[in-house]
Amino acid sequence: MSDMPKRESTLVRFATLLGSFGILAATLADGLGVAGRHTGIPFLGSIELVQAAVVLLAATSMFVVTVKGGHATVHMLTARLSAQRADLLRRLGALLSGLAFLLIAAGSAWVAAELWSGFEQTELLHIPLRWLRLVWVVFALLVAGAFLRAALRPQA
Amino acid sequence: MISPEMIGLIGMALLLVLLTIGVPIGMGLALVGLGGIAWMISPEAAVIKAGVTSFEIISKYELGVLPLFLLMAHLCFAAGASRDFFDVAAKFIGHRRGGLALASIMGCAGFGAISGSSLATVATIGSVALPEMKKAGYDDRLASGALAAGGTLGALIPPSGALIVYGIIAEQSIGKLFTAAVIPGLSQALFYLITILVVCAFRPGWGPATSRVAWRERMPALRKIIDIAALIVFVIGGLMVGWFTPTEAASVGVIGAMLLLAIRGGFTRVALSDALKETLRTTGMIYVVIIGAMLFATFISVTGITDALSGAVTQYNASPVVAIIVMTLVLLLLGSFLDGVALMLLTTPIFLPIATDLGYSAIWFGIFLVRTMELGFVHPPLGMNIYVVQGIDKSLSVGTIFRGVIPFLVSDFLHLALLIAFPAMALWLPAALGAS
Repeated sequence: MSDMPKRESTLVRFATLLGSFGILAATLADGLGVAGRHTGIPFLGSIELVQAAVVLLAATSMFVVTVKGGHATVHMLTARLSAQRADLLRRLGALLSGLAFLLIAAGSAWVAAELWSGFEQTELLHIPLRWLRLVWVVFALLVAGAFLRAALRPQA
Repeated sequence: MISPEMIGLIGMALLLVLLTIGVPIGMGLALVGLGGIAWMISPEAAVIKAGVTSFEIISKYELGVLPLFLLMAHLCFAAGASRDFFDVAAKFIGHRRGGLALASIMGCAGFGAISGSSLATVATIGSVALPEMKKAGYDDRLASGALAAGGTLGALIPPSGALIVYGIIAEQSIGKLFTAAVIPGLSQALFYLITILVVCAFRPGWGPATSRVAWRERMPALRKIIDIAALIVFVIGGLMVGWFTPTEAASVGVIGAMLLLAIRGGFTRVALSDALKETLRTTGMIYVVIIGAMLFATFISVTGITDALSGAVTQYNASPVVAIIVMTLVLLLLGSFLDGVALMLLTTPIFLPIATDLGYSAIWFGIFLVRTMELGFVHPPLGMNIYVVQGIDKSLSVGTIFRGVIPFLVSDFLHLALLIAFPAMALWLPAALGAS
């Protein structure tokens, strides 16, 4: 997928930045949590911060790996097929994966819509969970889009 | 009317078909899981379950441990820690008969304590150790077999990616799993060392002795690993004695690895960015597999197939050990064509309830599962580690490497038998340390 148009690669760069921010934020929050606990100055809510950071890194990382075509697959059969047949199976796999992720996105959107007016928040820091749910719905749709796009394109 | 158990079996067969035609593992699990739930309950239930499960997984605090340990490994790698463990071991024991092969195993055990991945361990240590062994005149079978087998240590020695994933799926304490893996991991390494000594006793020409390295060269090499070794001991030790939760231990590990990288002069924007990118890629791949596995597990539990299987074991009055041996054989069979994580995620929802019904601890079962899964990395026809070693040195044939692995496979089976016969190998340390 090296011939990605500019717009998509910008999206991947944005996702990478957001995911990297998530990893570093989780590191910092948990690091401060440990330091605070062992020095007697507790950093309350570090777990909630890590949870929020983990949502960002998980959602973005699934999009990044899909665009890069890095999902774990079994190659036992496809490695023995002609390039043309292997590509056909790859596209079929991508199509099925895209449909599965559309279902996941639809389910996530459904749950988010049901809970939207409930203003779910974390207990200590009151981090609004509905925005995190929205981030996940957007990235689940992007993952589905990346799979479907791969299904439509023959391998170069 | 098809019985729920039959629907479960159809689902499993369909999953194997999807995986064989190359559907990504996580997506294959998700498709079968969602399809099965839609069939057995309702399509609406399947869609809602997909939404609930996926957000539960991605917002799970405990799962944050995985990307953080991955980042720690990538930072240590950027700091050049990969070859240091092998270098030290080679300088201390490389002059003995089979010494470089022994050093490879020690290097794999040391690097395994950073990487948590079998493939990463064999690729990293192999690229350093294989040329050294060839230069010293080692037989290709011993050199390649020791590396392919030694690489599997990365999957069990904590922090182990496979154990983290198992802990999430089986809802078990990751700290307890890591503690439980220490003795099996170290004893596995010991078994490999003994195997090399035995092979060299019968075939002295396979691992010729080389010249001894002077102490003035050994000490600087030892100093090079002190910082990384201290970091590993602090992170894993702190986790075992309860200073940190697993996620906190991983965060402390990342901060320590950043400091180490800075002290070694490698802390650049490019190094950090590369480590973060690699971490994101692996993390994304694993999250997709976990979401799929949780959906598949829900489907399997709805079918009641595990109750039926465990009922069958009870009905035939089969001893628990016999049931575990049968599971081992099924795992080895499936491991012939499924990769490790897929094998674990496919079989945990089915085998774990049976094992716990038979009186086995879920912690022990996790260690047993990862230990059995490791065999798939070295036994034909999949044997991913074999291909990694062959990728390092194209002049080695796959057959040569497989032949080299055979003595280590024998040692693996003995070790696995011990683990089954004496569950205390895994359960004693967590109990002694009161790991939570």
